[in-house]
Amino acid sequence: MTPTETGPEVAEERGPLKSPEEAVAYLKEISPELRGCAIIDPNGHVLAATGEDSESWTDPARELVAAADAATGEPAAHVHVATGDGEVFAVRYGKLTAVAVAERFVLSSLMAFDLRAVLRELR
Amino acid sequence: MPAKPHRLLLDRVSGYADEAAAYLRRRRHMRKPFARVYYPQGRSSDIPSEDEAGKALFRAAAHVIEIAGPPRRPGR
Repeated sequence: MTPTETGPEVAEERGPLKSPEEAVAYLKEISPELRGCAIIDPNGHVLAATGEDSESWTDPARELVAAADAATGEPAAHVHVATGDGEVFAVRYGKLTAVAVAERFVLSSLMAFDLRAVLRELR
Repeated sequence: MPAKPHRLLLDRVSGYADEAAAYLRRRRHMRKPFARVYYPQGRSSDIPSEDEAGKALFRAAAHVIEIAGPPRRPGR
């Protein structure tokens, strides 16, 4: 049997994210600590979310973003709430907002970075 | 017989790693819930949980956590 030469493994280059659904799937793939996420438009409508019922994210996501904006009366770029049950993030970039729930003690800067990165691609 | 030089280095690095791990464990145990809002240009505000704004944020966070569902990995 002739040995075949194999080169180093090359990671497949990911194409640009074309839809909010792809963005949500990508976030789930790259972040094992992510429990769920949603991407919402400026009117608070859910464009895509994890789980079977994406509409169920509508009211909670709106409530979170409204509470963040109302905290000091200024629109928030990003909010992080760490609780005993998990960590919640909302990141606003352009007209879209990503809301995510992650496990406790997740690396918050990385989570925010990933959320902002997908929103940037979707813009 | 004197210890080999690389063993000394390995032991020292292991010691640092153990201390760092212990520090992170202590930090986790002592960490309290918090809410932090970030604004453009890098400003941020810690919102106390006793304030109305803090209560609203924690309430909203609890609702979002409920919707997200249980941990994906068991035992987390």
